[in-house]
Order: sequence, then C-alpha cells, then structure tokens
Amino acid sequence: MRQPPKNTIAADAIKAWRITALIYELIFWIAIIVFAIVTYYFELPYWYVLIAAIIGIITTYLSVFVLPKVRFKRWRYEIFEQEIYIQHGILIMSRTLVPMIRVQHVDTKQGPILKKYQLASVTISTAATTHEIPALLEEDASELRDRISALARVDEDDV
Amino acid sequence: MSKEQRLHPAAILFNLMKGLKEMVFLIILGFFTFRDSGLLYYILAIVAIIVLGLVSSFLSWYRYTYRIENEELCIEYGVFIRKKRFISKNRIQSIDLTQGVLHRIFKLTKVQIETAGSGDGAEASLQAVKFAEGERLQNELKNGITVVIEQNDDEPEHPTSTISFKRLFLAGSTSGSLGIILAILGGGLSEIEQFIPEQFFETTVQWIIGLSIFFIAGLAFLVLIIVWLVGIAGTMIKYGNFTITKHHEELFITRGLLEKKQITIPLKRIQAIGIEESILRQPLGYVTVFAEVAGGTSGKGEDAATVLFPIMKQEEVASFLAEFLPDYAIKEEEWTGLPKRALKYYLLRSSIFFLLASIAVFYFFPKFSLLPVLLLLVFIYLGHLRYKDAGYQVKGEQLLLRYRLFSKKTMIMYHNRIQSFEKKQHIVHRKQKLGNMHVSIIGKMGGAHFYLKEFDVESIDHLSDWYSYRDI
Repeated sequence: MRQPPKNTIAADAIKAWRITALIYELIFWIAIIVFAIVTYYFELPYWYVLIAAIIGIITTYLSVFVLPKVRFKRWRYEIFEQEIYIQHGILIMSRTLVPMIRVQHVDTKQGPILKKYQLASVTISTAATTHEIPALLEEDASELRDRISALARVDEDDV
Repeated sequence: MSKEQRLHPAAILFNLMKGLKEMVFLIILGFFTFRDSGLLYYILAIVAIIVLGLVSSFLSWYRYTYRIENEELCIEYGVFIRKKRFISKNRIQSIDLTQGVLHRIFKLTKVQIETAGSGDGAEASLQAVKFAEGERLQNELKNGITVVIEQNDDEPEHPTSTISFKRLFLAGSTSGSLGIILAILGGGLSEIEQFIPEQFFETTVQWIIGLSIFFIAGLAFLVLIIVWLVGIAGTMIKYGNFTITKHHEELFITRGLLEKKQITIPLKRIQAIGIEESILRQPLGYVTVFAEVAGGTSGKGEDAATVLFPIMKQEEVASFLAEFLPDYAIKEEEWTGLPKRALKYYLLRSSIFFLLASIAVFYFFPKFSLLPVLLLLVFIYLGHLRYKDAGYQVKGEQLLLRYRLFSKKTMIMYHNRIQSFEKKQHIVHRKQKLGNMHVSIIGKMGGAHFYLKEFDVESIDHLSDWYSYRDI
C-alpha cells in the first residue's frame, strides 16, 4: 500500500459527476427560490435567504467545478491476479485491498447519466463488504467484471 | 431420507397465543370502549377472533410439513399459497434448539436452522417438535457440516466447561451498562450536595427541601439497586447452567434457566475469537470470551456475537482457548502500539463533546459547571486508555487486534478470514505519517468491522504487506 494503484478511471467521469452534481444543485436552488418567494410574500427577514444563497453558491462551485476533477485525480484502481487494489477519497484518502478469493460476486451497472457517456460502474462484493469502481468505459467495465469473476473462481475453504 | 412430518400439535397453541399476544392491546382497548354499550357483541367478537385464530393456526399447522430428502431439509408450508423451501445440508451453518418455558412443560423444543444468508431471522424455524425429534434432526442435518462420530467408546472424553454459581453471580453483578450507570451515579451521589445552589439552604424551607432531596436521592438509589438486581437475575436466567462442550469439529453450548438453549457452532464457521474486558470486570480481572460466527440471525448488543464463556479469569483464557480452540491459542507477545503523536487525536476525539458541553454549561449555568468538568475528566482518561490499549500483533497467519471503545477487546483472526483491508488517511494524517485501518470479517448482519485509528503509516503498510496475496 505504499504505491498508489496504476489505472485511472475514464476521463468522462468528470463530466458525468458534474451533471449529477448539477442536478442536485438545481434541486437545492429550486428550494432556495421557493424559500425566497415565501419570504417575499410573508415579509420574513431576508437574512436566511441570503445565507442559503451563499451556501448554494459555494456548494455549486465546489461540487460542480472543483470536486469532480480532484475526485478523478484521486480515483485509482489496479487488478492483480491475487487481489484488487482501490484508492479513492478527497479529504480522507483510502486504499483498499480485496483478495480475489474473497470476492463473492461482481456487478456492472449504469444509470442514465453514465449511459450518456458510455460509462458503467463495477461493484465488487465480498461476504462482508462492497466496493465500487465508478465510471469506467463500458467495454472496460464488462471486461473487468469478467476478468475479476474468472480470477475469483478459485475454490478454497468456503464459508 | 424420511417421510413428511408435522410439528407437534402444541404448535397450534403456540401460534394462537402468538397471535393473541399481538392483539392484546386491541382487545383491552376494545373492552374499555364497548364495556357499557355492547358488551355482548364484544364478547362475541372476541370468541369469533379466537375461533378464527384457532382455525387458521390449525390450518397452518396442518399445512406445514418438513422432511429430510436427498441431503436436503425440505419444508412445505402456506395455507393458500403453497411454499416450498429446500435447505441443503452443507449450507447449514448452525442448528439451535431453544426451549421456552411452555416448551419445557410439553417436553418440546424449537429448532432454528441458520444458513450464511444475511437476511434477518432464522432460515427455517420449526416452532415446536418433540425434544427427541429435535435432537434427531440436529444429528441428521449436521452430518452435512461435519462428520461426528457419536457414542464411540474409544473416543477421548469431550472437554467440557461449566459456569459456577459464584461466577454467574459475579457476571450478573458486573453486567453491562447498568453497572456503568451505577458507578457514575454512585460517584455522583456524594457530590450532589455541591450541585445544589446555595440559595436553597438560605430559604426557610431548607429543612424540607433538604429532606426531599435526600428522599429523592434515596429513592433513585433504591431504583438503581433494583435495576441492578434485575440485571443479576437477567444474567442468571440467560446464562444459568452455561455449559460448553467440544465435540470433534464443533462447539456445543447449552444455557438458560427458564428458556433452555442449545447452540452448535462448527469450528470451521468461526471467523474470529474475541476477548472482552468490560470496564467493570477489568479491575477484577475477569473477561468474556466470544466468537464471531458467520450466520443469518440478527443479534442486538450482547447477542451480536456468540458468547463462548460469559465470565472467566484473565489467566484462564489461554488454557480455555488451548483446550477448546487450539487454533486460536494465544501466546502473549509484544504488541505494536500507537506512536506518541497519535495521543492527541485520541484525547480530542473522546473529549470534544464534553469539552463543548462544559463550555456551554459554564456559560449558561455556571452553578452546575462541576458536572460536565467531571465527565470531561473521565472521558479524557478514557481517551488515554483507548490510546494505550490499541495495538496489533502478527504471528504467522494469525492477526491479533486490540482496541477499546468502552470495553477493551482483543480479537484473534486468521489471514484467510479477513475479507478486506483498508488504509485511510486524511491530510493531517499524511503530514504526520499516521493512518487509520479498517479490517472486515464475516459476521452477523453484514460483517464485523474493526477500525484501528492513528497507527504509524509504516505499521499499516507492514500489515498490508502481510495481508496482500502478492509477493512484494
């Protein structure tokens, strides 16, 4: 765990994350606007709307423009014959080792936003934990899934 | 292979009572609402409910059959929608026999069969069968798990250990959170005088208030004593007659005074062994030994892990493990502890809440500021203990982890039982060359997870090298 894993995820992940963040922020801004209208009609103090708007601006800036890039830079994975090595996390960086023989199943999944960029995420489950590699190219994701499931198909002592 | 069998007819009764128990509130409520106007109708309705309940209990009993066929337990049930459930013998994790008070009157037992599935509740649960039948089932089904040669004369004697009454009493009186509350309040009670604002004593009703405060304090004390006694009784009932026996490849536990429970744990299914020293037992030198077992039922609190022995002397652990779980026998060696620079994290984490609380109380209620300050000191001390107790040890394929939340826990696990290993660092950690680690094993309800914080990064990398299957 001294060296970071080698492979990065697909670069389009940044775009996909931006859109996801944008959708959440949009909901937040709608709420702020509704709040502002209510404040206007009932003549409540404008303080709270102002605070909410400032929070909205800051979170929008961070989650849409800053964080996706940083997150992409941090997200790394590497598949060895014996184990899976994942690194992620912006403030708290975490590196995880999952031995192949502990893998119970592997899934790929794809939401509408990932689909737009031909991306898919891979979920790896052990008997106690689940780990996700988000946003790989579709082909890479399914190739990875098949590879892990082939490597994991080792009979050892079962639970 | 055996033919289809039904549960004991007493299951009808159990079912009915279970149904009525759920409705008891409704029935009482109904009584008070219809007491004056329609008592007759009310009684009729109750009779109808009972008859309906009886009919449906009878039907579900009649339609519930089980058999053992082709190495599988096959259960068919459902009154209108027929359901069949097949449980393969070698997927069965454990078979528990439980005898409630009612079961014991009829010499019956409840059989709970668990697989590794993560859903809650047992995979299959036979409400009531004859005790002998329960044992027959247990014997027949567990053949899938391990080959047990019973009644073999030239076999060496099975190691057995039983809890003594004295120990049981001690376990009860030092059990759980009640004890902690007692200790805190016991200490706090003598200090209570200081928390009473002085004006109280200057008023003319000084004597009365003084009396009533002592009266309240006395009453609180009495309640605590009762709660404590209830705690003792609870432990006695739960762990009375606790016996653990080792058969070839499995541990066999019977316990309980009122509700008798028999638990079978195949050694192969044990994921980790834990030794817990709770705050109250640690000064007396007593510990609890438990096991993390892969299994379906959701447990809460003390039941989350399977207790292998409720209470024993610290010194006896080594010989207990050597006898019952030779694979997990421990030799105390040097623990790799935390570096000095980790201490401040531990102190801050454990005291931050009370630090803020103290400031708030100091600001708003200066008269009562002694209490949060005392708690703050207690938690700073706890933080120091947590720092001191955290550590790990690697011996061949074995990993020992030690940590404290309130109780000090030592976990013993094998390399091949660990499901994943994670290293976590935030920015400040990285600057100070510290890191947290997170080790996961299979346990009840989605696994057991152990978090050890602020180790030297070198130690964590060393552990990860040990864990990694690659040659580094």
